[in-house]
Amino acid sequence: MNGKLAIDAKGLSKAYKIGKQKQSVLKDVDFNAYHGQVTMVMGPSGSGKSTLIAALSGLMKPDEGEVIALGESLWKKKKSKIDRFRLDHCGFIFQGFNLFPALNATQQVEQVLKYCKVKKSEAKKRAVAALTEVGLEKRLKQTPSALSGGEKQRVAIARALSKNPQLLFADEPTSALDSVSGQVVIKLLHRAAKEHGAAVIVVTHDPRLEAYADRVIHMEDGKILSDHFVNQPQDVVETPVS
Amino acid sequence: MSLALSTLIYEWRRYMAAVIALAVAGLLVLALVGMFMGIGKNFSATIDRSPAHIMILPPDSEGLGTSQPRRNIPLLFQHSEVVEATPFNVTWGQFTNFPEGEQKAVREGVQIYVVDPIPGAVTLPTDFPEDVILALQEPYSVILDVTSLNKLGVKVGDKAKINGRTVTVRATISGYPSLFNSMIFTSRQSAKLLGLVREGPRVGAILVKVSDPARTDTVAAELNVIGKGQFKAWTKPELSKRNQESMFKNSFISILLGFMLVVGVFIGVVITWQTLQGAILANIKEFASLRALGVSIGSLNLIIMELSFWVGVAGLGMTAILLVGVTALAGAMGLTMFYPLWSVITIAIMLLIISVLSGLLSLGVLKKSQPADLLR
Repeated sequence: MNGKLAIDAKGLSKAYKIGKQKQSVLKDVDFNAYHGQVTMVMGPSGSGKSTLIAALSGLMKPDEGEVIALGESLWKKKKSKIDRFRLDHCGFIFQGFNLFPALNATQQVEQVLKYCKVKKSEAKKRAVAALTEVGLEKRLKQTPSALSGGEKQRVAIARALSKNPQLLFADEPTSALDSVSGQVVIKLLHRAAKEHGAAVIVVTHDPRLEAYADRVIHMEDGKILSDHFVNQPQDVVETPVS
Repeated sequence: MSLALSTLIYEWRRYMAAVIALAVAGLLVLALVGMFMGIGKNFSATIDRSPAHIMILPPDSEGLGTSQPRRNIPLLFQHSEVVEATPFNVTWGQFTNFPEGEQKAVREGVQIYVVDPIPGAVTLPTDFPEDVILALQEPYSVILDVTSLNKLGVKVGDKAKINGRTVTVRATISGYPSLFNSMIFTSRQSAKLLGLVREGPRVGAILVKVSDPARTDTVAAELNVIGKGQFKAWTKPELSKRNQESMFKNSFISILLGFMLVVGVFIGVVITWQTLQGAILANIKEFASLRALGVSIGSLNLIIMELSFWVGVAGLGMTAILLVGVTALAGAMGLTMFYPLWSVITIAIMLLIISVLSGLLSLGVLKKSQPADLLR
């Protein structure tokens, strides 16, 4: 699957109303991402990168444009079908870790698998496997209050990976972490792409992460300024340029 | 353990206001019911603890305060299984103490219960101990509930006056407290000496003993046939239940209870709803992250509803704890509390409805769990 087109968006536009004025955040953006690749979207605050992944992942409907994700036109689906699509195929990692304070690491992962209709015993196995993969095999029973920031983010990654997502979206995943924890997190995202074949789309400010990217896209003022492949995927016929 | 239950246990402080609001709402209503039922129980304590199997009342009466013709007594003996039928004699009297030193003079109306101090007599309450029965056998002796001693300004051994005739307080019993007029027990012989026994053509309730207590229900039904509508035979449990029900037909009690119920439900819903909303808002990002991962809003609603249900269960538990405390306090003050099963079930259902209703009202706040807001 690695190297195949996972997501293909054309002509995405989005504007917000601020007072009486309309402010364009995304301006006719074309974007695509490939399985097995880490695509990094970089740019200053307000450049539209978070809005872009919200539109790509089915979290926020663009005013214009189309998103073909895993061969399906995302925004032509009903709301409930988009939820189902995300449940079946998407993983999310946020800057804030957003873990339930009452649940331990294993339960955090099991909670999501429960909604994927995975049997209880199987969910437990998969949760332990996912947490082991992110190096938390000794922290299975810890609640978020007993975990460091880096460990919390690794639980969030395990939670996202346990569903075996084909699309993995990460929004500033290392912003709240020290450099060592940040390195660990980006390596895990890299592994998710290489070993699981997921299309990993990372929005970040952090220039240190560029070293792990297969492709770096720079955005500013709602437009893609540059799109640079570090490793060319097999399927690329022509280099996409916005 | 589910997410809802884990959250409630882990963040119990956050939910405490809701749990306490529910408990207070439940306590408010249940304590009132318990108090009224306790008063009712005290009024019929001598009936409930009488060895009688059947009580005969006028046909249209559901309480003990009415009278019927004395000629009903021989009618009862037409049934071969009736072994004893004696009228239950309760009268009112004026009680006066003999104050000593700085003691306050007491002049109060009392209820006087006439009993036959013979073990096994149908008018003698089953819980009267041997020494009390012996004390009652002495002429001019009276006994009273231990909680009435202070109220009437006497102690055991003191002399006092009932309707102007001197009596001796010979002993005390417990379990017969009264909020209003104190209960005083005396023997039939003493009552005659004091002029308290009604010998006229009308009597109060008639207490009946049957030869085989296992056949009480059948005998009661057969006595009703014999009576041809001149009286109604009640078994003890029937009469006890009817007494409780008739208590709540009293409009003042019903209005008070209804008012407390409305206040309880209102306080419960508002505080539980606001507390739940606050608690959900505190975890809104976590819920939003589940939404991002594809968990439907319906599934999140279910989590909230389960959470509100568990808050209701915790409220019930807290109600039980508070109720034990209130009952103990009332007991220390000589007030009997009685909670019939129907009232406990009604309040349990009420608390669960309040909590589920609050959960439903709180669902709107989940709309704020927009996963796109998690993106910076």
